[in-house]
Amino acid sequence: MVPLMGNVAQDDGSSSVTSSPLKSFSLMSLSPPALLPWPPALRELKSDERGLCLIHLLLNCANHVAAGSLDRANAFLEQIALLAVPDGDAMQRIASHFTEALARRAIRMWPGLYHALDSARAVVLPLAEAAVARRHFLDLCPFLRLSFVVANQAIMEAMEGEKVVHIVDLNASDPTPWLALLQGLRARPEGPPHLKLTAVHEHRELLNHTAIRLSEEAERLDIPFQFNPVVSKLDNLDVESLRIKTGEALAITAVLQLHTLLATNDPADVRKAAQRAPPAGITQQLSLGDYLDKDHGANGHSPSADSVLSSPFASTSPARIDSFLAALWGLSPKLMVVMEQESNHNSAALTERFVEALFYYAALFDCLDSTVPRQSVERLRLEKMLLGEEIKNIIACEGWERKERHEKLEQWARRLNAAGFASVPLGYYALLQARRLLQGFGCDGYKVREEGGGRLMMCWQDRPLFSVSAWRC
Amino acid sequence: MAAASSSVPFFGIRDEDEHELSKQQSTTAAAPPPGSATALAPPKKKRNQPGNPNPDAEVIALSPKTLMATNRFICEVCNKGFQREQNLQLHRRGHNLPWKLKQKNPKEARRRVYLCPEPSCVHHDPSRALGDLTGIKKHFCRKHGEKKWKCDKCSKKYAVQSDWKAHSKTCGTREYRCDCGTLFSRRDSFITHRAFCDALAQESATRLPNGIASAGVGGGGRQFYGGSAGVGGGINLDLISPANPPQFGQLSSTTSLFRPSQSYLSGAGSGHDFNSLIQDMHSNTTAGASSTGNLYNLSFFSNNAGATGAGAAAANMPLPSDQFPNSRSSGGGLFPSINIKNNVPSLLVADPTEPAASSPALPQMSATALLQKAAQMGAAASNSRSSLLSGFVGAYHSETTQRAQLVDNERSFQTLMNSLGGGAGAFANNLDDGSPKLHHVVGAGTPPPDNGLTRDFLGVANLSVLESEMKSAFSRRSNNP
Repeated sequence: MVPLMGNVAQDDGSSSVTSSPLKSFSLMSLSPPALLPWPPALRELKSDERGLCLIHLLLNCANHVAAGSLDRANAFLEQIALLAVPDGDAMQRIASHFTEALARRAIRMWPGLYHALDSARAVVLPLAEAAVARRHFLDLCPFLRLSFVVANQAIMEAMEGEKVVHIVDLNASDPTPWLALLQGLRARPEGPPHLKLTAVHEHRELLNHTAIRLSEEAERLDIPFQFNPVVSKLDNLDVESLRIKTGEALAITAVLQLHTLLATNDPADVRKAAQRAPPAGITQQLSLGDYLDKDHGANGHSPSADSVLSSPFASTSPARIDSFLAALWGLSPKLMVVMEQESNHNSAALTERFVEALFYYAALFDCLDSTVPRQSVERLRLEKMLLGEEIKNIIACEGWERKERHEKLEQWARRLNAAGFASVPLGYYALLQARRLLQGFGCDGYKVREEGGGRLMMCWQDRPLFSVSAWRC
Repeated sequence: MAAASSSVPFFGIRDEDEHELSKQQSTTAAAPPPGSATALAPPKKKRNQPGNPNPDAEVIALSPKTLMATNRFICEVCNKGFQREQNLQLHRRGHNLPWKLKQKNPKEARRRVYLCPEPSCVHHDPSRALGDLTGIKKHFCRKHGEKKWKCDKCSKKYAVQSDWKAHSKTCGTREYRCDCGTLFSRRDSFITHRAFCDALAQESATRLPNGIASAGVGGGGRQFYGGSAGVGGGINLDLISPANPPQFGQLSSTTSLFRPSQSYLSGAGSGHDFNSLIQDMHSNTTAGASSTGNLYNLSFFSNNAGATGAGAAAANMPLPSDQFPNSRSSGGGLFPSINIKNNVPSLLVADPTEPAASSPALPQMSATALLQKAAQMGAAASNSRSSLLSGFVGAYHSETTQRAQLVDNERSFQTLMNSLGGGAGAFANNLDDGSPKLHHVVGAGTPPPDNGLTRDFLGVANLSVLESEMKSAFSRRSNNP
C-alpha cells in the first residue's frame, strides 16, 4: 500500500481536493497549539463538509473543555463560530447551541465569571417565553400530542366503570390533553364520571389559565368537574397537598418531569469545586477518575444518582427521585403514565453526555429541519428557548442546577419497579390512535413503535426520541 | 359504476346499497316505498353526462356521519347491525319475528343524486352532484378522508379499502425496471423515462475520464468483478459508444455505484459534475438521510464479510478509496489495479436496486447522517476499536447493515474521542507530506503509537481506557511542543 500513499502525496498539490476538511486539519496542525485561522476556502464548504467539520470541531472542543485545557478549547470555539449559525441548516444550528453550552461550561473554571454571567440569566426564562416555546413544541412536533393521546387512552381504559376519577398532572401548563379527555369521557357508554383534576405547576398564572379553560369545557359538555391547583415546584412537592382521598381512582401523568428529580450534587462537581481551576494534568486525572468511577455504576444498578462514590471530599445527598416515587406509590394510583426523553444524558462524564446529547438533539433538529421551513420564527424560538436551554443545562450545569437528567426507559423501568410499580402494557388502541395521529400529522419520518412490555417509543427515522409507559401500584 | 346502479332485482346482495339508503332517506326525502318486484334483469339505466345531472333528480345531502355509517339497521332482539334493510329482514326470520322484504317500485322511484358534505368540495354544489351513493361514499373517503389502508409492499396509502385491495393485487406484479434503477408499473411511463434516461447517461459518459468508465465495465451489469480478472487489462472502450442504449444502462450504473467513493470525498473536480448529474438523473426518493447513512454503511462495510471480523478488511477500503479522488482528478487513468481488485468489489456491491437513494452527496445531509458519517470516518481509521459514534449507528439502525463495523455498543466514549482524534490525525498524517507514520493507517488497527513520532495534531488521542496508556500519554503530551 505504501506506493499508493506515495502517489497520493505527490498528487496532493495538483488535486482539487483542497476543500477536503481533513486536509485543512493537517494544514492547521502544522503549527503549535495556537491554531491558524482557517484558509478562506473553508467558508465555501458545502454543507455536508461543513457539517463534518463542525462535528470534528465540536468533539475536540468538548474534549478540551472536559479536560480543562481552555486555551485549546477557545481556539476551537473560534473556529466553530465561523461555521455555526443559529439559523442555518440543522447541523449549524445544533453546533451553535452546543458551542454556547460548551462556552458556558468552560467558564465554570472561573466560578466568579460563571456566576456573574449566569445570574443575569439564571432566573428562569420569563414565563411567557417558556410557555411560548412549549406551545411551539406542541404545535411543531407531534410528540407531546402523541403522549396525550396515549395517556388519555390508558386513562379511559383504566377508569372504565369508575364513577369518580381523580387525575394528578405533574406539569399542568397545558389544558390540551384534558380537553381531549373530557371529550372522551363524555362519549363513554356509561356516561361521564365525576372528574377531579389536580394540577401541579410552579406558576400560578398558568394554572389559572388552565383552570378557566377546562372549567368552560366541562360546563359545555356537562361533566361534573373539579380543578385543584397546586402551586409548587416538583422537587418540594408535598403529596399531602394533592389531597387524594383513600380509595379514589387515581391517575398520575408525568410528562417530561421525572428526570428533574434526579438532580443531586454530583461528586464530580463537589471535587472540582474543592480543587478550583487546577492545571491541565490534574484535571484530566479527575476526568479519568470520573470516568472510571462511572464505569462501576455504568449499568445503572445504583438506585438513584448515576455516579455514586465513596468520595472523601463531600457527602452526596441522594436525589429526590426515590422518595418521590415512594410517595407516589403510597397514593396507590390505578395508573401512572410516564413520558421521558429516550436518551442517557445523565452520565457523570461530560464527554459522554456531550456525545449522547449530540446524537439526540441531532435527531430532534433534523425532524424540525425536515418539517418546518428554515425561516420559521416558531422553530427558531423552539430551538433556542426550549431545546437550546436543555442542551445548555445538560452540558454546562452540574449538581443541583443540572435538571435535564434524561435517562433511558430501561433505567426508569428499573427505578419504577424498585419503587413498587408494576408495568401496565399500553394496549392496542393506544398504539392505533397514536398511529392515526401521526398519519394526520402527515410527515413520514415520525414513527411510533411498541417496545417490549407494552411501552411505546416515538421515533424520528428509527431513532427513538421519547418513550411513553404506563404503571400501576 | 353508475350504469350498473339500481334496478337490479333486490333479492340477493348487491354491491350498492342505494336502495337501502333510499329507504333510510325516506324520512328526509319522502320517497314512497317501491312497488312491484321484477325477476327480470331490468333495462340499463341511462347515465347522465358528468357535470350534467338529471334536472329532475332528487338531490340528497347527507352528513358525513350518515354517509359513512354502516350497520344502520339494528335487530331489536340481538342488536346485530346490518348494512341493508333486506339483510335485517332475513335475519329477523331467524328470531321468528315478522319480516317483510320491501320492494322498490321502479315507476315511483325517483332518480337520486348526492352531494358531498365537504363544503369546499366541488361536488358540494347541486349542479355537480354525483349520481351514485357508493360513488359519493368513495369520493368522500378518497378526497376528504384519512388514508388508513397502506400497501405492505410499497408505501402507498389509500382511504378506500377497495382501492387498497385493487392496488395490492397489482403491486409488484408487473414491473419494468430501468437500468438506472427506477421502477415502473406502466409500460408507457417506463418507455418515456427510458428515453430521457438514456439521454442523460450519454452526457455523463462523454464527461467521464476514460479510466473510470472503463474501470467500471469489468463484467457487465452490476456485478463488475464477479469473475473478471482485473480491471487493468479490461478496458472496453467500445462500450462507451453512444449508439448502444443497454450498455448505457450499465454505464449509468457504473457511475451510480462509484458515487459512494466520490461523494465520500466530495471535492474531487470531476466528481462535482458527476454527482450533480447523478442527482439529476435520479429523483431522490430517500425517506430520510438516515437511510442514506444506512446504504452508505452498506456500500462500504457490509458485504465483504458478513460477520464481525470485517473490521480490518473493511477499514482497508475507505482509506485507499480516499486516495482515489486525488489520483483521479489529476487526470490519472485507472485506479491502481491492486486496489481495485481488493477493495472495489465491496465498494461496488452497494445495493444495486437503490443507487439513487444511496448517494450521500445529497445537497443537505441531515445532522444525524453527518454524525454517522463522522463516526465511520473515525471508526475507519481505527478499525478494530469501535467507537462510540459507530456504536450509535449500530444501535439505531436495526437493519443488518452494521454487522461488519459496529461490534460493541458498549465501548467507551473515550475510545470514540481517541479514534476520532486518532483517525483524523491519521488522515492528517496521510495527507501531510512530511509525516512518517503512514502505514499505521492502513488497516493496522492500532492506536496512534505513543512513541513521540506521531504528532497529536488534534490533541485528543490521550483519553483511552487504560490508565497506563493514559499516563504515558500524559507524559508525552506534556513533552510535546
